[in-house]
Amino acid sequence: MDPYLVSVLSNIGMISFIALSAYLLLLTGEISFGQQAYFAISAYGSGIATAMWGWPFWAGLLWGATLAGLAATLVAIPTLRLRGLYFSIATLAFAEMVRLVFEIFTYQVEIDGELVGPDGSDGFRDIRYIYDSNVTAFEYMLVIYGLLALVLIGFFVLERARLGSVFRMIGEDPMLTEMQGLNATAYKVLAAAMAGVIAGIGGGLYAHLTTYVEPKIFNVMLGVHSLAYGLIGGLGTALGPLLGVGIDIGFLESIRAISGYRMIVFGGLVAVLLIIRPRGILDEATVHWLRRRWRRWIHAQD
Amino acid sequence: MLELKVLSKHFGGVRAVDDLSLAVEKGQIFGLIGPNGSGKSTTVNLICGVFPVTSGRVLLDGKDITRAQPHQTLAAGIARTFQNIRLFGQLTVWQNLWVAQNGLEDRQRENFLRRWMSGNRRARESVEELLEFSGLADKRDALARNLAFGEQRRLELARALSAKPKLLLLDEPAAGMNLEEVGALDDRLRKIQDRGVTILLVEHVMDLVMGVTDRIAVLNFGKKIAEGTPAEIQDDPAVQEAYLGGAGGRRAAAAG
Ligand SMILES: Nc1ncnc2c1ncn2[C@@H]1O[C@H](COP(=O)(O)OP(=O)(O)OP(=O)(O)O)[C@@H](O)[C@H]1O
Ligand SMILES: [Mg+2]
Repeated sequence: MDPYLVSVLSNIGMISFIALSAYLLLLTGEISFGQQAYFAISAYGSGIATAMWGWPFWAGLLWGATLAGLAATLVAIPTLRLRGLYFSIATLAFAEMVRLVFEIFTYQVEIDGELVGPDGSDGFRDIRYIYDSNVTAFEYMLVIYGLLALVLIGFFVLERARLGSVFRMIGEDPMLTEMQGLNATAYKVLAAAMAGVIAGIGGGLYAHLTTYVEPKIFNVMLGVHSLAYGLIGGLGTALGPLLGVGIDIGFLESIRAISGYRMIVFGGLVAVLLIIRPRGILDEATVHWLRRRWRRWIHAQD
Repeated sequence: MLELKVLSKHFGGVRAVDDLSLAVEKGQIFGLIGPNGSGKSTTVNLICGVFPVTSGRVLLDGKDITRAQPHQTLAAGIARTFQNIRLFGQLTVWQNLWVAQNGLEDRQRENFLRRWMSGNRRARESVEELLEFSGLADKRDALARNLAFGEQRRLELARALSAKPKLLLLDEPAAGMNLEEVGALDDRLRKIQDRGVTILLVEHVMDLVMGVTDRIAVLNFGKKIAEGTPAEIQDDPAVQEAYLGGAGGRRAAAAG
């Protein structure tokens, strides 16, 4: 496979995790500008585990995602009591704080005569586990998509389970949800924890793909993009945010003619869609309609 | 079963509910009527804990629930519908009911984790039964917001019932319905009563109120101006005065 294509697809896969993470919170009606914090925490956490502590890749990834989930839970408990805009601002502030902490975070050990580990704003080099294990870029892409498939299956199960309906109910009318006897805040904390883990998986994958992480890439723009993917692609299904990622990275980035203006085109797209389709391309009504169509078609076959 | 004791709610200078006392007996359909803005919806909101009361007490089966939150009054056995329909429009009819069942089970807490992710047969059966009862069986997969108005009202009632309440608070369930639909609602309310559920019915449609209720209280400017059987209320000069003199006169006359 063409190495360029492999690298684009790997990027799409990785960013999909953080897009799904923001999407999960959007389902409960919460707008988080800060999912990049959990992406970063896991990128550092899993990198430290494999490059410095000699852990195997899967253990490192699990550890990073767990850290991210814990951090998300701890942040969610106080901030989800805030409503709407205040929650959004709190997530943004927390993510910037995390980034600034990584700007000064230094923790290095000597391995084979070389210093390895995070070095403040110089970043964290030599997260080489994947290369040292002779995993090719193509194989690693399969790892990314394998995990993405698992997370997607998780989302489809969620949508069919009560929990998914409860998340959507909270997104639509939290007060009415409370009146059904459900503790909306507790469910939101659960959603935030799950979203943290999902962003964490993406972050761990990212660190091991690039072998190098630096604090400045976990800036607000990453968070804003993650949020925008769901809003563009649609909130009716977990495939929505993936469509959003595909449009941005797969389509806009590959059209060379607009390369320099990608951000402007992307921003314009978001603005237009928010006006004409406030819940994205694959919104609930569209997904519902497609599902009915699909069922009818299946029926017609037998 | 439900007692309001000198209950008041003031919004700034507005005395929306003013020293209201009344007692609803178990198994009754109790009507609460009055001109527009007389405090009926506010009373419902006070009973189920949406607003904090200004003064007075709310008792359910002798237990003080004055300060209970909405989810606590639901747990205590009070379910309601809204004057302006409130449904989860992006969810299907089936999901709307299913999730209300979910709330019921959350509050029962038994086997919470096991039930949480997986559907549970009893809940499903109960949803099916409610769909039948409400005449919504063929609409189960429609999004709630795509339903016709009367269907949305039926779904709201079904959702309230799915919480298996002892006491049902209905805020103008017949508003916007045609005669036929009002007749069907009348039937349904009697069936609900037969199941042992007590109903507090706020309503402007006089045919329905006079036909179906056991007892009626009349509010005007937040105060109770009359209480009695439907026949007594119809003949009460104070009630006629409130309706004909008050802002609600034309609407009540048109409705009844
Ligand atoms: N949240 C609120 N804030 C301020 N005032 C309110 C609020 N809710 C109700 N009121 C006022 O309280 C009074 C009683 O209102 P309420 O809605 O209880 O009347 P109602 O009897 O239900 O009338 P309708 O028949 O029109 O539904 C009105 O004067 C109304 O303006
Ligand atoms: Mg009212």
